[in-house]
Amino acid sequence: MQRPTPAKFELLVRRDDEEGFELRQVASVTGYLNSRPRRIEPDAYEISELRSRVAVAPGFILKNKTTDRFLLLSEPERFLWDQMDGATSLQEIATAYVLKYGEFDFEIIPSLLRKLQRAQLLTFEPRSRLRAVLARNRGRAVVKAIELVLTSLERIRISTHNVQGFFQALYRFGGFLLFTPIAAIACAVLAVAGAAAALVLFRDVHDMLEGFGGHALRGVLTVKLLFFASVALHQFVHGLACVHYRRRVREFGFTFLHGFVPTFYIDVTDIFMASRRARVVTAVTGALVHLALGAVAFIVAAQAPTGSFTQAFAAASGIIQWQALIVALYPFCFIEMDGYHILVDVLGVPTLKHDAIGYAKSLLTGAGRILGEGREELLWIAYVVLSTISVAAFIAFNAWIIFSATH
Amino acid sequence: MQASDETLAFLRDVRVFEAFSDPDLVALTDRLRERDLRRHQILFREGDRGDEMFIVRRGTILISKAVTGKVEQVLVRVEPFDFFGEMSLFDGSPRSATAQAETDVELLVLGRDSLQAMTETAPRAAAAFFYAMVQVFMERLRRSTQQVAEATRWGLEATGLDVEAR
Repeated sequence: MQRPTPAKFELLVRRDDEEGFELRQVASVTGYLNSRPRRIEPDAYEISELRSRVAVAPGFILKNKTTDRFLLLSEPERFLWDQMDGATSLQEIATAYVLKYGEFDFEIIPSLLRKLQRAQLLTFEPRSRLRAVLARNRGRAVVKAIELVLTSLERIRISTHNVQGFFQALYRFGGFLLFTPIAAIACAVLAVAGAAAALVLFRDVHDMLEGFGGHALRGVLTVKLLFFASVALHQFVHGLACVHYRRRVREFGFTFLHGFVPTFYIDVTDIFMASRRARVVTAVTGALVHLALGAVAFIVAAQAPTGSFTQAFAAASGIIQWQALIVALYPFCFIEMDGYHILVDVLGVPTLKHDAIGYAKSLLTGAGRILGEGREELLWIAYVVLSTISVAAFIAFNAWIIFSATH
Repeated sequence: MQASDETLAFLRDVRVFEAFSDPDLVALTDRLRERDLRRHQILFREGDRGDEMFIVRRGTILISKAVTGKVEQVLVRVEPFDFFGEMSLFDGSPRSATAQAETDVELLVLGRDSLQAMTETAPRAAAAFFYAMVQVFMERLRRSTQQVAEATRWGLEATGLDVEAR
């Protein structure tokens, strides 16, 4: 029997000018890929490994403690089950699966979802804890207002799916130069010159940032604005790298992450179909935008008159750009940025952060072993310890900068 | 409105006027008003008061219903020779959906007073009009039922819900 085509809705999305609108076809498959399956609460199920002398691969028994229903899971299904935390979309789960197993079985996720639903092991509750708490307290006017603001901000999403042609043209008309040895050398030279300029400048941070003087607010806002533009540039370079490896850029846009962090984003997930080298280059080159811009800013600051607004502005921009570089490439900071994706790709552990935090929590609550013998447990502990130290150091560094500038 | 040959030829192809005699069509044309909309102009919004129905002469009208925030579901595209807004014509209830021009549009407008006058002066034509209208209503009801089924299918497909096994 022929399968019916996926159901579609045609939606009209109004713009702010009231009469202006955009028509969007939303196929059910889009909703499916963006859905975030969530397993039931940990105390409502039990999972144990099933060892067999006959079977080569390990299996798992999953039990719903409320309904007493049992389910047999294969090792890949167990992996998928672990991803179903209510925050990860099916598309992300599929990506994690490809990263771990190097191939994709198109039937495994739908059939697992069916099995889990039959055994009542999945729920469809609000996807974030904040949202869940807000939903529970909706009766209060303040909570309702917060929910309304978050919902409104989350809806602000300006994006286009028709970007492949644009990025191809951008690549053809000069973008390809970024992926040549000359560009790599230029970047390295700029980094060295920028670092030298920064060292000179940092001999007296107070003098350097004094230039903001009575224009502190103007300075901070301009620095932020410039940084915001550089985030867009960062995403553009990701897109160019994707085109460089002949893969497709699926979407580019602007949104409020988690409802309150304004950000540009680009969908280059097609790069997962390319080699690991392509994935690493795509991740790194975007972040190098901050290296280059930061270096230029430090060089400008070093050349500007001491204590001038230009020097303060350039130096502050340089600091923010290089901090962004570190945050983007440094994997140990609890944020899943470019560096984190490279690390998990190389290690072959796509759920490192999730597993590490889960393990740390179990240690703190006394539910886990103090120190496992396995490499995985050591990796999880290393990740949590390094990330905690790094975040603390990052906060301390910024506090020192602010303190030095104001005293 | 002047009963030009072009207008009469157009009205003959509008389903609810198909059974009208030529004199009835001429009389009807006198009671119709013309209205032009530029692209994206909103004709009426969901909840507005209204007592007119509209026949599309040129262009396309989008009929949409608010879903959430700034998002509306497109219920139907009204093309030339088709009509919309007839529900408020009969019961005077608020508009159940928003009508907006997708392109530049030319409309013919039939008000409740004109319909009432037609019922009194040309009862045969009025009967043909109402009979055709009932047929159109039934078709639209079938289409709405189909849309409900399609929305359910969308929900099932989007959630991957396996109802058969429950």
